[in-house]
Amino acid sequence: MEISRRRFAELTGAGILANRPLVSQSKTVTAQQVVERIRKSIGGVWAEDSLDTFKAGDPATLLTGIATTAMATADVLARAAREKANLVITLEPTFFGRLDGIPSPAAGAGRGQGGVSLDDPVFLAKKEFIQKNGLVILRFTDHWRTRKPDPFATGMEQTMAWSKYRVKDAPFRYELPNATLGSLADDLAKRLKARAGIRVVGDPLTRVRSLTFLPGVSNLAATMKALPESDVVLAGEAREWESVEYAHDTVASGQKKGLIMLGRILSQDPGMSVCAEWLKSIVPEVPVRWLSAGDPYWRPA
Amino acid sequence: MTANDVVERLKKNLGIPWNGQTFRDTFKAGNPETEVKGIATTLMATLDLLQRANAAGMNMVITHEPTFWSDADTTKELEADPIYQFKAGFCAKHNMVVWRYHDHIHARRPDLIWVGLVRALGWTEFVSPTGQRRFTLPPTTLGALAADVKKHMNSRVLRVVGDPNAKVSTAAVGMGYGMPRISPDVDVVIGGEISEAGNPLDATEYCLDAAYIGKNKSQIILGHEISEEPGMEDCAIWLRTFITEVPIQFIRAGEPFWSPKAGW
Repeated sequence: MEISRRRFAELTGAGILANRPLVSQSKTVTAQQVVERIRKSIGGVWAEDSLDTFKAGDPATLLTGIATTAMATADVLARAAREKANLVITLEPTFFGRLDGIPSPAAGAGRGQGGVSLDDPVFLAKKEFIQKNGLVILRFTDHWRTRKPDPFATGMEQTMAWSKYRVKDAPFRYELPNATLGSLADDLAKRLKARAGIRVVGDPLTRVRSLTFLPGVSNLAATMKALPESDVVLAGEAREWESVEYAHDTVASGQKKGLIMLGRILSQDPGMSVCAEWLKSIVPEVPVRWLSAGDPYWRPA
Repeated sequence: MTANDVVERLKKNLGIPWNGQTFRDTFKAGNPETEVKGIATTLMATLDLLQRANAAGMNMVITHEPTFWSDADTTKELEADPIYQFKAGFCAKHNMVVWRYHDHIHARRPDLIWVGLVRALGWTEFVSPTGQRRFTLPPTTLGALAADVKKHMNSRVLRVVGDPNAKVSTAAVGMGYGMPRISPDVDVVIGGEISEAGNPLDATEYCLDAAYIGKNKSQIILGHEISEEPGMEDCAIWLRTFITEVPIQFIRAGEPFWSPKAGW
């Protein structure tokens, strides 16, 4: 345990950032001030009971940089520290569960124990890394997801070079000029730097023109609306006994269609690049960068 | 012998009381009074599976998972959907009956879905004496274990999190939806299907981070179908012990996915 934690800390020069001298008095901003600007600029009413709160670190910390990410994994945090971004803004949890390490009062009820044990070695190592590097973690999910135009669609468009294929007045819809289900899956894998996370239903040779993007988690109703209207649904995460079976049955019924599941993180990853661009416009004092969380999965040959 | 007779006989041989409140273990398509020519057991009554069962002369399908795309198999809101019409129409045209066998196959002892999974993994002799659904395996690496599991489970697209070189010997295994909880005495958790984030404890992020700091916790996600499918073969074998009037055959619904070559 000691060795692991030391190794983790050494990787990024623990403690250096925490003591970093201020750059200049006129160009400083704290994590708290960033949140206030986000609240003012995001539009709509801020939900006080949302998940969008600080998960670690001191909100009064003077910032040297900001990193946005789909998921604040240890790898992402180490890269953030290396790049002197001491505020990490994450879409998904940091501490392995919806409530970010706070034991859930709703635990039990047949669902087993709540969040991560507070003496868990990985939890403690991650906390310690955050503390040693003076990082502040802000979760930004509920409000970022309400942003219009949808930042996940914008991010995917940019990554895939699909902006010119956008269907007018139909968010999440694209008309691709020259793709098969197989070539589309390959192109997604390449541009999203996927490893093993992408899974596809349908015939790779099926010609696909119209595409509907369902980023993040989507339900059966969304798939049942999207698939009849398009040749392929590009989803993040969907249930195997719901949308996946529906798409599989659609293909078995003779329709030339497909479903591509990217995985939740991969489908949302580019949307946090859009978040970094937006933050640049409201926090000019410090550099803002996107750190890709990447595809979590691999598979043996 | 009617489909209803099949179900009644199954109930008699179950060994546990029938829960009349179940919304899962009911008829999903067809007339229960249909004369049965043959029974196909399967993990999921997909349209493709129904077509193959019909071609094999089986007009009763016993499925573990839903037919009409939701746990409750409610169809009222689906009536205008062309795929629903096609699938329900196929059953009607070919006089097929679909019955779901979920809650009670898990509730009886032994749980045949579990028996099938352990058999398919080839881990019967490694069941840990210390706890349920734990295994003590001959020490190996995660990479070798994942390759072995992939081969044994007949999977193309299983997904793994963790360091391929990590040494593993203790495993906690779950079926279908859900992932065993990470715990200090387990090297690798294995399950069917799970949300990528937002669970009480997210194994994906936990194992990424554990691997990153050298703690070597790992996760293998088999896929829902892959994890529970073998048990429906055990179900067919069990049914044959008390139903001899008609042929009974396990037909693999199979993994619904393929995967593109890795992008890097």
